[in-house]
Amino acid sequence: MPDDVATPAGRRPGVFARAWAKAVSGTSYLPMTQAQLEEVLQRLTDRLAQALRADPFDLRIGQQVGAELVQSHIASAEGLGRTVEVIQLRLVRDLDLVVDDVEDRMARLLATVATGYARALRDRTLDEQESIRRAAMMARAHAERALRDSEARFRHQATHDPLTDLPNRTLFTERLTAAITTPGRGADRVGVCFLDLDRFKVVNDSLGHQVGDSLLVAVAQRLRRALGEHLVARLGGDEFVILVERTAGTDDAVKVAEAALDAVREPALVDGHELTVSASIGIVERPVSGTSPMELMRAADSTLHWAKAAGGARWSLFDPDRNRRELARYALSAAIPAALDRGEFYLDYQPLTSLRDGRVLGMEALVRWRHPELGVLRPDSFIPLAEETGLIVRLGSWVLAEACREAGTWSTTDADAPFVSVNLAVRQLHRPDLVPEVRGVLGRTGLAPDRLQLEITESTMMSTVVEPVRALRVLGDLGVRVAIDDFGTGYCNLAYLRDLPVNEMKVAGEFVTGLRAPAGDPGGRTDERILASLVSLAHALDLTVTAEGVETAHQAERLRAIGCDAGQGWHFGRPGPARQHLTHAPAA
Amino acid sequence: MQRPDWAPETIDIERPSVARMYDYYLGGSHNFAADRAAARAMVEAVPEAPLMAQANRAFLRRAVHYLAEAGVRQFLDIGSGIPTVGNVHEIAQRIDPESRVVYVDVDPVAVAHSQEILAGNERAVVVQEDLRRPEAILRHPDVTRLLDFSEPVAVMIVAVLHFVPDSDRPEEILRTLRAALTPGSHLVLSQASDDGRDDTGERAEAERVYRRTDSQLFIRGRAELTALFDGFELVDPGVVWVPQWRPDAPDQAENAERAVFMGGVGRLGA
Ligand SMILES: C[S@@+](CC[C@H](N)C(=O)[O-])C[C@H]1O[C@@H](n2cnc3c(N)ncnc32)[C@H](O)[C@@H]1O
Repeated sequence: MPDDVATPAGRRPGVFARAWAKAVSGTSYLPMTQAQLEEVLQRLTDRLAQALRADPFDLRIGQQVGAELVQSHIASAEGLGRTVEVIQLRLVRDLDLVVDDVEDRMARLLATVATGYARALRDRTLDEQESIRRAAMMARAHAERALRDSEARFRHQATHDPLTDLPNRTLFTERLTAAITTPGRGADRVGVCFLDLDRFKVVNDSLGHQVGDSLLVAVAQRLRRALGEHLVARLGGDEFVILVERTAGTDDAVKVAEAALDAVREPALVDGHELTVSASIGIVERPVSGTSPMELMRAADSTLHWAKAAGGARWSLFDPDRNRRELARYALSAAIPAALDRGEFYLDYQPLTSLRDGRVLGMEALVRWRHPELGVLRPDSFIPLAEETGLIVRLGSWVLAEACREAGTWSTTDADAPFVSVNLAVRQLHRPDLVPEVRGVLGRTGLAPDRLQLEITESTMMSTVVEPVRALRVLGDLGVRVAIDDFGTGYCNLAYLRDLPVNEMKVAGEFVTGLRAPAGDPGGRTDERILASLVSLAHALDLTVTAEGVETAHQAERLRAIGCDAGQGWHFGRPGPARQHLTHAPAA
Repeated sequence: MQRPDWAPETIDIERPSVARMYDYYLGGSHNFAADRAAARAMVEAVPEAPLMAQANRAFLRRAVHYLAEAGVRQFLDIGSGIPTVGNVHEIAQRIDPESRVVYVDVDPVAVAHSQEILAGNERAVVVQEDLRRPEAILRHPDVTRLLDFSEPVAVMIVAVLHFVPDSDRPEEILRTLRAALTPGSHLVLSQASDDGRDDTGERAEAERVYRRTDSQLFIRGRAELTALFDGFELVDPGVVWVPQWRPDAPDQAENAERAVFMGGVGRLGA
C-alpha cells in the first residue's frame, strides 16, 4: 500500500497533496509557505478519500472541503478550476483508491466540492464587500467629524484672541450688532465698557513683554471670572471691552465697570512679580434704537480717554455735551491746514514798551483765525489743539514767516524799529530744521537777526534736552533774541537760567495783578517783593525783564520803580494791527 | 469663511485607491467599482500585475518571518494597506504573541478597515499618517505607546516608496526614521522597479493608469533602492527582485524575470 493512503492528520504530504499544492499556488495570494500549504492540502486529501469511500455518499464532506479551501485562501476562480482538474485526473490514481462506481462517485464529489467552494467564496466576497463599505462609512464619518472639528477650531481661532482665549473684536462686534439689531424682549438698552490698563507700557518696558503678556492673561481670567455672564473681549494690546446686555439704565453698566475695576485692582502674581495694576473704563449705556455698533464703540473709546485724562483708575460715563464740544474742537483742528491754504490766519501785535522812555521796544505777534463761520478766533481756542495734533509746526512756521515779513516793513518808517516777538512751541523747538528755517526766513525777509525774538515758555525750557539747547545757542550767536515767557508760573530751575542762551525774562501777569492792590495790602506787598527779587535776579544774569499783564498806570509806575525794563499789557496797548502801535504815542 | 489648509479631506470612493487596487490584485473583495476598473486597466497593461503583487506580499511575509526568527519583536509597517491576508501582526504574533505592530497608512478607508480588524488586539494598532511626515509618525502617541525605540524595531516600507516622488526626499525620510532606531533594528524596503529591463511601453502605461488614482507611480532602479539603505547593512542576498529574496523553495524564485518589485532587508549595526 502506498504510504499516503488514509493518512492521519499531520502525516507527511503525499504525491497527490504536493501536486495539488503546485497546481493552486499562484492562483491567489497564499499567506503561507509551500510546506504549510501541502500540509493543509494533505488534510483535505484525506477527507476527499473518505468521501469517495463513504457509504452512503455524504454530500457534506465535499462541501466542507470546498469551504475549507476558501478559508485557507485558495480563493479564486482559477483555484477552483485547478482543484477540479487535479482531483479528477490524479486523486484515484495517486491514492490507489479502489472504489465501486468510481466515475459516478467522482462526479458527485466534484459537484459537492464546487458547491461548497462557490458558496464559501460568495460568502467571503459578500463579507469583504460589507467590511470595506463599513470601513468607507466609518472613514467618511470620521473625516466629516474631523472637518466639523477643524471648522469649529477655525471659527474659534477666527473669533478669539490667541493670547488670552477671550473673544476678539470680530466676535464682540458680532454680538454687539446682534444685541442692537435684533433686540429681544426686555433688551431695549445696551451698555459697552471700554477698559484699558493704566501704564501697562511701563510693565512691558521694565519687566519685558513676557511678563506683560502673562499679566494680560491674568487680567483676562479675572475679568472673565468677575463678569461671568457678560461678554468680555480683548481688542488688542491692553484694551478690553465688556458688553452689558439688557441694561435697565446707566447704573447697570456702572456696576459692571466697578466690578471690572475691582477685579483688575487685585494684586497679581506674575512670573514671580507681584504686580498691582489699575484700569480706566469708558462707559456708554443707551437705548439700542437709533444707535449703531460703530457709534457705541467710538463713544466708549473716547469716554475711556476722559477717564485716562482724569488720572486713570476710574470709570467715566459718556456725556453727549462734552462729546459734542470735543468733536467741535477736533473738527476745528482738522480745518487748520485748509484754513492756512485759504489764508484765514492773520497776526495782531501787542507792544512791549520801555518803562524808561515809553518807546515801543518790540511787538509780540499774536495769531488770529478769521473763521468763515465762527468769526475771529483767539489763539486759546485752537493753539492747544494744534499743539496736540502736531499741526502747530505748520501753523508756527507760517506765523514766524509772516511776523518777520511784516516786521521787515516797519523799519522803513522808523530807524530804531521795534523787534518782533514770536512764540515758539515745544514741537517746533524739537525739529532739527529749526535753525535753517529761521535763517531762511531772515534771509528772505531781510530782517536783522536782532529784530527777531523767540518766546519760549518756562516749561518748554525745563523739558528741553541737549539738541534744542544747541539750536538756541546757534540762533543766539546769530543775534536772535531769546525770551522766557510766563516766567514764574512753572517750576523754575535757576540753574537752567544760567546755562541757557536767554536774553529776556517775561514775568507772568499774575505777579503784576497784585500791584493793583492799594498800598498797604500785605498780598500786594508780597507780589511786589517777588517782582523786585525777580528783577534783580534777571539783571544779575544779564537779562532784561518785561512784565506782562500791565493794566494800569499805577502798575507801570511801581514796575518802573522796581527797575523792570519793559511792560506789556492793555495799559500800553491792546493787540491790533502793527501800524496802530507804530504811530501810537508813548503811554508811559 | 476660508477653509484652513489643515482641514481634512472627505472620502471619495469614486476615486481609485492604490490600497484597494492592491487588495484586488491579491484576490480580495475589499474594493469598489472604481478601484476594480483601474486595476483591470493595470492588468491590461501589465498582465503579471496580480502575480507580482502576490510575490511582493510573499516577500513581506518571508521578511517578517526572517525578522521574527532573528528576534525582532516590534514592527512599524508604513503603508500597510487594507488588511487582507498575511498581515504583519498575524505572522509576527504567531511566532511570538508578545510582538507589537503599528500599522501606518494615509488612506483613511484602509485605516478604518484596519481598526475593525485590530479591535481587541492590544499589541497591534493602526495610525493614519503619511510616510512623508516621519517625525509625525515617530511622535504619534500610539507609536510611542506601543513601540520601545530603545529596543530593535523593524521598519517596513513595502510597496510604498514608488508612491513617493524624489521631490519628497525619500532619502531624508529614511534618515529621519533611521535616527530613531537602535542597533539591531531593521529596514524592509520594496518598490516597483524596471531595473535593467527593456522599455516595452508597459512602464508608461502603468504610470498613466496610476495618474487616475490617489497616488502616482515613481519607478526606481536597484542602485537608487540600494542607496536608500544607507546606514544599514544589507542582509543576504541584498537588493533583488522580490521572488529571489530568500525563497521558501528554490523553484519559487522562478518568476523573477517577470517581477516588478525589487526589495531587500537591512540591519542597523552598532
Ligand atoms: C501597494 S500597498 C502596500 C501594502 C503593504 N505594505 C504590502 O506591501 O503588502 C501601498 C499602500 O501604501 C499606502 N500609501 C501610499 N502612499 C503613502 C504615504 N505617503 N504614506 C503612507 N502610506 C502610503 C497606500 O494607501 C497603500 O495602502
